[in-house]
Amino acid sequence: MDRRHFIKQSTLLSIGGLLIPSSLLSACRKETLFEDVTYDGKVIIIGAGAAGLYAAYMLKSKGIDFQILEASSTYGGRLGKLTGFANFPIDTGAQWLHGKNSILGDLIKKSKTKITLDDSETRYWFNNQLVNSLPQETHIFEGDNLPDISYEDYALQNGLGNEYKYIVENIAGDQGAAASRLSVYGNNKDEENWVAGDDDFKFEETFFDLIDTQIANQVKDNILLNTVVSKIDYSQSTILITDSNNNTFNADKVIITVPIPILKSADIQFTPALPDEKTAAFAKIGMDAGMKVFLKFSNKFFDQNIIGGSVCAAYADDRIGKAQNDNILLAFIMGEQAEYLTSLGSDVAITNALIQELDIMYNGQASASFIASHVENWTTNPYIKGAYSYSTIGMGDARKIASQALSEKLYFAGEAMNTNGHHQTVHGAVETGYREVINMLTDIKK
Amino acid sequence: MKSIVLSIILLLHLGFAIAQEFKIDASYEYLYSGQWDKAIQTYNVSRPFLKEKQPLLMNGLNTSISYVFENEKHVKHGINVSYAYFRSSAENENFNNMLKLHFINIGYILHYENAEKSKGLYADLIISATSSGLFRHINGNPFEYDETTSRAFGIGGDICLKAGYYLTLKNNFYLSPFISIAYTPYLYSPNSEAVINQTKELTSKNWTGILTTQIGLTFHLKRQQND
Repeated sequence: MDRRHFIKQSTLLSIGGLLIPSSLLSACRKETLFEDVTYDGKVIIIGAGAAGLYAAYMLKSKGIDFQILEASSTYGGRLGKLTGFANFPIDTGAQWLHGKNSILGDLIKKSKTKITLDDSETRYWFNNQLVNSLPQETHIFEGDNLPDISYEDYALQNGLGNEYKYIVENIAGDQGAAASRLSVYGNNKDEENWVAGDDDFKFEETFFDLIDTQIANQVKDNILLNTVVSKIDYSQSTILITDSNNNTFNADKVIITVPIPILKSADIQFTPALPDEKTAAFAKIGMDAGMKVFLKFSNKFFDQNIIGGSVCAAYADDRIGKAQNDNILLAFIMGEQAEYLTSLGSDVAITNALIQELDIMYNGQASASFIASHVENWTTNPYIKGAYSYSTIGMGDARKIASQALSEKLYFAGEAMNTNGHHQTVHGAVETGYREVINMLTDIKK
Repeated sequence: MKSIVLSIILLLHLGFAIAQEFKIDASYEYLYSGQWDKAIQTYNVSRPFLKEKQPLLMNGLNTSISYVFENEKHVKHGINVSYAYFRSSAENENFNNMLKLHFINIGYILHYENAEKSKGLYADLIISATSSGLFRHINGNPFEYDETTSRAFGIGGDICLKAGYYLTLKNNFYLSPFISIAYTPYLYSPNSEAVINQTKELTSKNWTGILTTQIGLTFHLKRQQND
């Protein structure tokens, strides 16, 4: 063999030696999961909120038979839309996109949905006057080695006295909790996993429209409304689901996406009973009362954000990001304040309490220009019973335990079951929807 | 600027003055990372609204320069700096998603050749510190949120075995085809899943192992022992 021939041979051998294994390896590496998995069983999803709708959308994309059972008369869960009250559509439920670095950020870009950064100005109701800034720093709830105590106690320990009570209540209210119940340690741990971004965005239409047009539209034919699941028997190979009218449904797998209070209050009876560890985990996940009240005025007398009210710790100009400009002020009420307002017993009483507070802040301008209100009380909704989940004191790994599948039959999704810091959000709920479909398909593939 | 350029030229000149061999190579590189595969596969399966799937990060280009220092033995020492680039792009309506992955390695070479026995064959063992940068671009622009760019940096260690064959071009100039295999057992890159799938530790760990193979050509400027 001459030199030239040898070189040619060895070069070809080298290329072949590398490319053939590379090609074989490439062929083994699939771009996506479960390309080769088929399943002819039936999946029932309980709850048509963001998690349930997205799980259904995933199942449909995989060609798997599914049905969604929804307790209420509409789909969307804690997403809602109110039209006719103002000259722009109003989000009665989830309203802000919290960060663009999420699956919904991708969906928004893909669908060219119009969103606007909410960089509105804030004023504080502090020592009975509206001020532009506070004397003391209130961003004390992030950092290392934070204690597992409440926001309220931690604020007091760090010199934020009683005059800061409702400022701190607003900070906790952002997490859907009363300051006396939200864990500084737990919430900070959650924040460490947050990767979506800190900017908040508002929809020119509504958050509900995004989920409705892009997701729900694909699966709405398979939603059975007004179906309140009361029993799930997973003792046999086929799961038997019974609703409040004693209608029964059979399934091979069930994805449960109901809000955490429904699981905590045992509105659904499981056979066999859920393990004690799981029910204990449900109990540790917090979810407080929450409501949104939309106040319509003839004049725009209010600031963009007003923080620190004793009746409502957070008011926000609802026109931000909208194409039209009716004077709508949102009262965003969480925790103990929502419990108090709910106890007043009527929408009129709730509205009056808020108008009274705004009159004090703005020298009677609220009652002088008040036109109408709309109260969306998520606490009294029997299929929701609160705002969104938060981390309680001593919560530990409750979310992980709560979200674990049972017997390869029952799968748990919904914002409260998000274990990677994105609970409380729509994108967090969506993540659990696809996560549980992946877990289910992984079990099927075994 | 002028002084920087002069310094670089001086350094190169000084380096070559003490070097037995100066090498520059270019190669195709095939990459396998189980964790990044998982994150991309999850991204793809979880987004049915994106018809065009995101390709895995696997095909890239690599270039490196090396100095091998002079000594009388068959095993020589040297230094190596390499750069590799991988890209994954998926085009969907209104939404082009691109991942760009860069590696820079700085390593120590053990170079073996025995002119009498190996007849032009040589082998390099390269132990390197490796750093990576993973970036997300959407519709041609770096994806920014919170006024920061979507990116994940990594750091780790890498071991590479390379074999080639010298072909004489002219006097001291050689060309050699080569193949190599490299393994990075631990690349700490905690934000990678946040760049790829917009989640953290939902599907992958904050580190990954990486296996790569290369095939390419090296251009050598090699001083003879008596030069």
